Amino acid sequence: MLTKIDLLNHTFKSPILVASGTFGYGDEVAGLIDVNQLGGIITKSVTLDPREGNAPPRIAETSAGMLNSIGLANLGVKEYCQTKLPQLNKLETKVIINIAGYEVDDYVKTLQILEDHAGNHAGYEINISCPNVKSGGMQFGVDAVLTESLTSEMRKHTKKLLILKLSPNVTKIEDIAMAAEAGGADMISAINTVVGMGINIHKRKPVLNTVFGGLSGPAIKPIALANVHKIYKVVSVPIIGIGGIATAEDVIEFIMAGADLVQVGTANFKDPSIGLKITKGLEPLCKTLEVANIHDLKGTLEYY
Amino acid sequence: MVNEVATVISNYEIASNYWQAILKAPEISRQAKPGQFINILPIKSWSKMMRRPMSIASNEHGNISIIYKVIGEGTQYISDWKEGSKVDIIGPLGNTWPEFKDEYPILIGGGVGIAPILYLQDKFSSEGLKHHLIMGAKTGSEHFLEHSPDEGLLLTTDDGTIGVKGTVISALEAIFHTPSDIRNYRICACGPSPMLNAIKLFASDHSIECFVALETMMACGFGICQGCSIEREQNSDIGSSYREKYSLACIDGPVFQTNEIKNC
Repeated sequence: MLTKIDLLNHTFKSPILVASGTFGYGDEVAGLIDVNQLGGIITKSVTLDPREGNAPPRIAETSAGMLNSIGLANLGVKEYCQTKLPQLNKLETKVIINIAGYEVDDYVKTLQILEDHAGNHAGYEINISCPNVKSGGMQFGVDAVLTESLTSEMRKHTKKLLILKLSPNVTKIEDIAMAAEAGGADMISAINTVVGMGINIHKRKPVLNTVFGGLSGPAIKPIALANVHKIYKVVSVPIIGIGGIATAEDVIEFIMAGADLVQVGTANFKDPSIGLKITKGLEPLCKTLEVANIHDLKGTLEYY
Repeated sequence: MVNEVATVISNYEIASNYWQAILKAPEISRQAKPGQFINILPIKSWSKMMRRPMSIASNEHGNISIIYKVIGEGTQYISDWKEGSKVDIIGPLGNTWPEFKDEYPILIGGGVGIAPILYLQDKFSSEGLKHHLIMGAKTGSEHFLEHSPDEGLLLTTDDGTIGVKGTVISALEAIFHTPSDIRNYRICACGPSPMLNAIKLFASDHSIECFVALETMMACGFGICQGCSIEREQNSDIGSSYREKYSLACIDGPVFQTNEIKNC
């Protein structure tokens, strides 16, 4: 298998995972695609308590992307364990649960509740980078000291994969990545959305209720690639590349820049089966690039 | 819900900047009910990332239709669809209009909001259920139906060029001022927000049941993106809850009873 990836005692069917918030809990798309053909699914951010999310409007289209300010709307971890975990346990693909919070205690309690429920999930992706909620974990995401202490606190409570999802909205992402690694993170996901804004000139209003939101989609791919490459140069843990991926070529770019796996996000809204289409496109590309396994391309970028 | 590659049967302007596209989509046609919508991919290029949700305006013999105005780039692409083009659509999505027992239906469409109203009217006509239909537009050239008050079909125009001069509320008032034995009216409406809010108020003042199909920005169309929030009326801020304060237009709607929601 050209696209199978063995990483940290886990076998991923392909390097293609679907990003948190763009694939729900895997059941919504049941009639459209076979989720088990994906490398993995990162479920929608779950918080300790249920959350209504932000007032509308929450989304807007941009050139080659979209702005969102959902505000972590979700059913809360208790309901998640009762209604979502049992069906996620039946999936054959890797399930990674995205957790968001406000303070260390929220993150840890949410993690503990999930650990107490026998789940088959491979691990957790810790969202310290949501730009759309006041202190939606973002105070961790921009501070290396807080990132390290949160990571090491979470590390104490789980043996499953611990993945820190980083924000591009920082001065130096390398510092945050190194802090996550020092705190005991197994992997780093990068990037979350880029802070953006749009204006409806006829209404003289921002396109989002919260004024600022998170930009995603192909528009941010160059930003994501740059951040992944910067992180690759300073950490030794595996990296999951995220940001505007829509084609098999995009995936190879991220892997050459230093990613081990990738997540497809906004493109899922346009085409729920894009993850599987990209996976199919990877095999011929691996042959063209003359590698026995796609993982052999990691970090093979050659400078001028 | 299926992701179907539909074939364009026809796509033309039926009134001034009102377009109707008929799509051969057997599976969606088989599953669809009045009130439901489809999420359309206007263009494959990644330069446009969002689908366009549109109500189903008719459904017969494996063909469904949409009615739209060319407003921006997305609808411009849709208006360029040629006969025989293949288009990627997901549907049917969302809930349906309520079941009618002995209620008397007043159907109201404003602008392209007429789409889900026409589909419902088709159902009533085939069942022989008597009803009124009001369609509002700015001016006569935007109308594609015939003003026929005797058959319960009232057109309105802001400038009075066709039908009742004024808004759909003017026609609604005319119906209510006509002596009648009917007591249990029920309104089903779709159109621009100001129109729906005026109808919501009218219904509440006259103690009439009222349902509206709402249009919002939407990415996925089936509950994943959480982008299409609608603020609910029973907003008893209980601190932490999910979908108590905000419903999602895609899976909780698009049809809502007006007393359930704060604004249309």
